[in-house]
This record gives sequence, structure tokens and C-alpha cells, in this order.
Amino acid sequence: MSDTVTIRTRPRGPEQLPSPTARTVKRLLRQPITMIAVLWLLVVLVCAVTAPLLAPFDPNDNDFTAVLQGPSAEHLLGTDENGRDVLSRIIFGARIALLVGVGSVIIAALIGIPLGLLLGFRGGWYDRIGTRFIDIFDALPGMLVAFAVIAILGRGMLPIMLAIGLIFCMNIARMTRAVTLAERGKIYVDAGRVSGLREVSLLFRQVLPNITGPLIVQGAILVGSAITIEAALSFLSIGLESTTPSWGGLLGVAVTKMAVQPFMIFPPGIAIVLTVLAFNMLADGVSQALGSQRRRRLRRTDRAAARAAGAVGAAAAPDADAVLQVDDLTVTLFSEDKRVPLVTLDHLTVGRGEVVGVIGESGSGKSTFARAVLGLLAPNLHITGGTIRIDGKDMTHAPPSQWRKLRGGTIAAVFQDPMASLSPVHTVGAQLVDTLRAHRRLSRRAARVEAAALLERVGVRGAAKRLDEYPHQFSGGMAQRVAIAIALASEPALLVADEATSALDVTTQAQVLDLLLDLRDEYGMGILLITHDMGVVAEVCDRAAVVYSGSLVELTDVKSLFDAPQDPYTVELLAARERRPRTIEARVPASEEVTS
Amino acid sequence: MTIAPSMAAEVAYASDRSPLLEVRDLSVVYDQTGLFRRKKPPVIEDVSFDVFEGETLGLVGESGSGKSTTGRAILRLLEPSQGTIRFDGAEVTAFGRRTPLSYRREVQAVFQDPTLSLNPRQPVSMAVTEALRRHGVRDRATRRRRAEEAFDQVGLARAFLGRYPAELSGGQQQRVAIARALALRPRLVVCDEALSALDLTTQNQIINLLCDLQTEFGMSYLFIGHNLEIVKHISDRIAVMRMGRIVELAPAEQLFADPQHPYTKRLLGATPADHPDGRDERRAVRKAYAQAHADGVIPQP
Repeated sequence: MSDTVTIRTRPRGPEQLPSPTARTVKRLLRQPITMIAVLWLLVVLVCAVTAPLLAPFDPNDNDFTAVLQGPSAEHLLGTDENGRDVLSRIIFGARIALLVGVGSVIIAALIGIPLGLLLGFRGGWYDRIGTRFIDIFDALPGMLVAFAVIAILGRGMLPIMLAIGLIFCMNIARMTRAVTLAERGKIYVDAGRVSGLREVSLLFRQVLPNITGPLIVQGAILVGSAITIEAALSFLSIGLESTTPSWGGLLGVAVTKMAVQPFMIFPPGIAIVLTVLAFNMLADGVSQALGSQRRRRLRRTDRAAARAAGAVGAAAAPDADAVLQVDDLTVTLFSEDKRVPLVTLDHLTVGRGEVVGVIGESGSGKSTFARAVLGLLAPNLHITGGTIRIDGKDMTHAPPSQWRKLRGGTIAAVFQDPMASLSPVHTVGAQLVDTLRAHRRLSRRAARVEAAALLERVGVRGAAKRLDEYPHQFSGGMAQRVAIAIALASEPALLVADEATSALDVTTQAQVLDLLLDLRDEYGMGILLITHDMGVVAEVCDRAAVVYSGSLVELTDVKSLFDAPQDPYTVELLAARERRPRTIEARVPASEEVTS
Repeated sequence: MTIAPSMAAEVAYASDRSPLLEVRDLSVVYDQTGLFRRKKPPVIEDVSFDVFEGETLGLVGESGSGKSTTGRAILRLLEPSQGTIRFDGAEVTAFGRRTPLSYRREVQAVFQDPTLSLNPRQPVSMAVTEALRRHGVRDRATRRRRAEEAFDQVGLARAFLGRYPAELSGGQQQRVAIARALALRPRLVVCDEALSALDLTTQNQIINLLCDLQTEFGMSYLFIGHNLEIVKHISDRIAVMRMGRIVELAPAEQLFADPQHPYTKRLLGATPADHPDGRDERRAVRKAYAQAHADGVIPQP
């Protein structure tokens, strides 16, 4: 038998993807605004590095014959109160701005990151006491801290960097602690512990690489702020010595001489604004590039789909007994340049009171099929052929308004993750009552009584009391029962259960499946059961459709599916359940004595 | 009591040798935080079992039964409130804050979700090499060679060494996690729902791999799971847990042939069968149990 089985596996791309960091950088390069910001920062950087070459004059070259001049051919941006060239001072000022900005953030990071990592990772008393300490320190006004540091250490570059670093380090510590706290609970940290890794290595080699993203964002914003603070301190003339060409110092002079030479405030002002803005935009860009890791934009492709669907052939005759009838269905993926048919299905019906399974591996298109039946296809997926009839009504190209009327009425759905399908901010009772009242004319009170009865029916004990609880107060199995109760509220003719029990443990799965069967017996609805588990098919389905890479390979009643599978893929699926017997050597010899 | 047959099995085992892992009267109560502390019920209570050298002990129960908590206590990822754990004669519960490196080498783990158990920002080879580095393999080339060996043993191509977790399928990721555990030559591996996140075909491959590795290296497994059918396949003995207590412990065949505790029977009926034959009877049995349960006929432990 085994040689008739062709093993069909989907090829996995052999190409090696770049590292996560490389991918983030790539995304960053695609953001035009970030690139403008980066370009400006590069200009500032080039000025800072090559200042002596770029500047037309020495920044400290006094020329008392030409003080406080406006722009001229010789002095493009004019001169200051000592007759020094403003352009040269701006160019040299870039040096100071970057040095102070980056230097103070590095100091802040060196103090803040280890502190935050330790507090967030250890938790408990360390965290409680440490965080209070940070709170107190952070509550001190930043400028006051700066004044104190400068008063003690005197003016100059290093004291300023230290002062700003101290202002920022608590901010960084707090942020690091918050992201570490989220990271600490992840299993890879546990795995590292089990491997015996030291705490230092867990912190700096395991956790830190995972939180660098948010830290870089914060760092970029803080560099901008540091430049502002340095400017403010120099403006107040307690920052750098007046011989040091700083943007803030220049601005300070310009303000006092505004009556004589109003132009002088513009060059340093614009330099500060642009540079700080550029750092903030860079931070925004990085944050977006990190966040869009999973987000992918889908483009609506209605018009193209409508054109393609114009060529739908003649539909098959409707079957009066079927609550769901699908004929020659094609669901196509529309991308920018091509159309890929994802699901093709020639014929499938679900009768009243019938349970029909759709079985396939992940990626086989079974969930896409379920979404088509529910009218919930993603905006770039469209039905391009065939018909879907629900309770005799052709819904193939029904407008959303018609689907809305049908969903939660004639058809209802239960999905894999009950928590995702329940609203976390509304009580279970409110969600049930709303659904009931949307379909039936009921007073609020009557709906509540009905809701309690429904919950009780799906096996939630003490239902009347639990109506006022929120979904997170329910266990996974209980939450799935609530989702089923909501689905049942409209007494649907067809229930689509898309992997409804896959996230549950076997005990709970059996209970939920039994519940579905009981409800089928009671209400006589048809059930379309999407699953990857042959065992579930064996336990509950009347008929089953086997789906492989988007097409139906076999549709038959359950007994013949298991006894006489026709398609080699079905055979393969069935064989997957049979496990190779354990090798005898692996057994402990003593176990034979025990069983005898 | 219902545990009687399991005790017999325990005695039979204990007769010729001492166990590798000995858990006695283990209880875990989760820490209370906040101003108004209320006494919470223990997550696990009076759990006792042995794991012998080269043996696989299955630990089965539904979610919330405390089976993973037991595993985590053995891995020293949480502090038990009562009871003792002895490993190879040494009392693990008396270690204090620091865990001896030898224990960290000899007791390894494979966790449920392989996507989460590997560091997303590191090439997967580092999962293995970092552990080796900590355990005294100073030479980078040796670490690399040992990682390659470990990958060979779990059936992963060496080309995967430099990949990031996101580029691997669930099964491949789980193989990396097994390679990480294996590279240290452990004597006990705690497999905490190591198969639950994988699809059926992959589950079989991983089970077979675990069995093969046990044959080759002779380590013991504590195999935690919720699906009795799967656990049966790999286990010599099985302990059934419910609401924080072990309700039955017996050799695998015996547990299946002659389940003693009503809850074990219920668990047995929960696993979907391989064939639709007899499903109506199975459903009737399950319903009868559920009904009896609701009526309070089955004593809750």
C-alpha cells in the first residue's frame, strides 16, 4: 500500500531571510519622511566632523570692526557681538549639539538600562523599592538637577553631559523596567534558566536584544531633548563658556541684541528646531518600522474582482434540503500584478441537522472556504466563480448589508480563539442580551432571562450569576461555551465551527463537541466543521470533505472515509494518526515485572 | 483509597533500585501580592511520584490540573511551598536561591510553544552554544561542533544553525529546543506539553525522535500532556492529575486496560478515536459521566 502513497509536501522557501534587525532597517529605508530626517542628521554630522574644513572662519576669530552684521557676501549669516562669523559658529555648534546630545544619552543609558533590567527582571522587593526610588528621583525638576550638578562641577562640556544624563537616566530606567517586565514572562527566559545561564547573561544576552527596539526609539527622542536642554542652559549662560560655539549660547546672545540685529536669532533657532525635529521623526520611523513587523496592508480589489466575476457560468439547481450549497466555487487572491486561485470547490452541501467536516492541514484553504461561506473574505480575496447558497438563497455576490442580515441570523460562527471573538470590555451578559435583542423583539429583562437560560443550556453552571462577569473570568472551555451560546442566540440554520475546539485540551474538546451534537439534535441546525484533526471528524461528522492545497480531493460519508479512503492524500492523513510502535530497547526492563 | 493500585506499582519499582527523581508531598501555593492577602487554594497538593533512570513517566490532566506547575517546580522555575524533590539523592528543595550547575546540566526541559521558547533575536544555534558556554565549553569551535552534532541528532540540517526562529516551522523549532536540551547530556528531560502546539504529523515525528534519543542516550523523561493517547505512546507509567492531585498512577498498559479512577475513565473517553465505529456509545458514556459528575456522584478529590 505504501508505494501508492505519494507524499506531497509544500516546498518551503530555501532562501535564507535576513536577520530581524536587517529587516527593520530595510523597512526604515522605505519611509520617505524618516529618510529626510536622516538626511538632515547626516548634514549635521558632516558639519560636526569636518567643521574646521567647512567653516569659512575660525569660530573664535574676533573682528571688532564688523560686529552684529546682517548677512553679507563675506559673512553669509552675519556676525555676532564680537564680530565672529555666525555661519562658522553654527557649523562648529553642530559638534557641540551632537556631542552633548549623544553623550548625555549614553550616560543615561549606562545608568538607566542596567537598573531597569535588574528591577524589571528580579521583580518583588527589588522592584517595589527601586521603582519608588526612581519615582522620587524623577519627580525632581530636571533643570534643578542640572543647576546642582553645574554648581558643584562648574561649567563645561562634561558637567553638562553628566547633568543631562542624570535627568534622563531615570526615564530610561523606568522604560527599560516596563519592557523587561513584559519580556521576563516569556518562555525563552525560562529556557535560558533551565540551561543554567547566569542572571547577567540572561539580562544582557537574552532579554536586552529583545528590548533594544523601544530603547532606540526612546534614545532618539532623548537626544533631541538633550540638545534642547543644552541650548536652554547655554541660553541662560550657565551652560558652556561663551568661547565654545554652541547653538543655545548663540541664541542667548541673539535675544539680548534683538533690537540691534534681529536676524541673528534665526540661524541657531532653525538649526535647533530642525535637528530636534529630525531626531523625533527618526524615533517615530523606527517605532513604526518595529511595529509593522506583522502588519501588512491589504488593498481592496473590488473593481477588478467584479470585472473578473462577470464571467460566472450558469449555476446548478438549488437543493431544497440544503442549508448550505456550494457549486464550482473559486476564491481568488488579487495581488498587484497577479491573480492566484486559492480555493476551488466543485460541490458541497450541508443538510439540515447534518454535520459536515472540512479537513485539511494548515494552509490548505479550509479557513478561506469557511470565511467565504460567512461572507467574511479578506478585502483582497474574491469569489470569481460558482455559487454559494445559504438556506436556498444565492449569496455569491450579495452586498455586505445582506450578509450582515444573514450572519447571526440564518448563519452563525464559532472560531478557534473564544477570547478573540468576545469583547473584553463588555460583560458576557451584555453581549448575549445585545445579540438576542438584535434578532428578536425582547425587552431587556426578558432578554436577560433568555440569556441566562442559553448559558445554562451550553453548560455554564450558575449562569444567572455569571452574566455579569467579563470574558477573561472564564476558562478557555467556558469562554468557548459562551461563544457558542452567542452563536445560538439567533437560532441559526447553519453553524460554521472553524477549528472551534483546536485550542482546547482533549477533555474540554470532547465536552464542547458533545455540546455541539446535543444542540444539533435539539435545534436541527446544520454544522460545517472545519478541523485539522481526523479524530474530531471520526467522532462527530456525518460526512467529510478532504481539502488539499485549495481543492477538494474527497467528499464522502465518514464511515467510507475511514474504511475505504479513495484519495492518496486521505490515506496519508489517516496514516498520520497511526504511531510507530515504540522500540523495545527504550523500555525499562523492570516494567515487565510490574505489568505481570 | 483510589491510589492503592498505583502504590503497588510504586513498590514494585522501588524494590530493586533507587529512583532518579523522587517527588514527595509536593505542594505549591502561588504567592499572594497586594495589601489584603487572602488564602488561595494550593495549585498542587501532596503530589508524590518517582522517575527511574531511563524511564518515561507521563503526567496527564486537563488544563488547570497542576501538571505544568509540577514540572516547573522540578525545573526550579518556581518555589514549592511544601514537600521535597530529590534528584539522584540530592535534595533539590534544599538548594536555596542558587541552583547548582550540575543540576542545571542534568535536568533539561522542552516547552510547549517552540516559537516562544527560542529567543527571537538570536540565530537558533545560540540556543545550544550559549548553554554549552555556561557549562564550561570554553572553545568556540568546540561549541560549534557540539551544536552541529546536536542538530544532527535531532535530524536538522546544519544549514539551519544560522537561521532565526521565525524562519523555521513549528516542528523544526521544537527540534532546536530538543537539541538545546540534548547538547548538555541530561539525565532527566521535563517535556512540558512538548507536542501540544504541533500538528499531527509533526507530533508523530517528534514523539519518534524523543523515543529514539531515549534509546540512544538512556535519559528519563517526565512527559507532561493533556492527551492520554499521545502520552501513552511514549510513557512506561502514567500519573493522572486532577485539581492539583494525582488521582491514579499505573503502568501505561494497565492504566488503559483497567483504569481505576472514574476521572481516568473520563479522560480515556475524551481522546477522539481513530475510527467512527462506536462513537454513539462513546458519546453516551461521556454524557453519563458528565451527568454523574454534575449530580455529584463522582467524588471530587
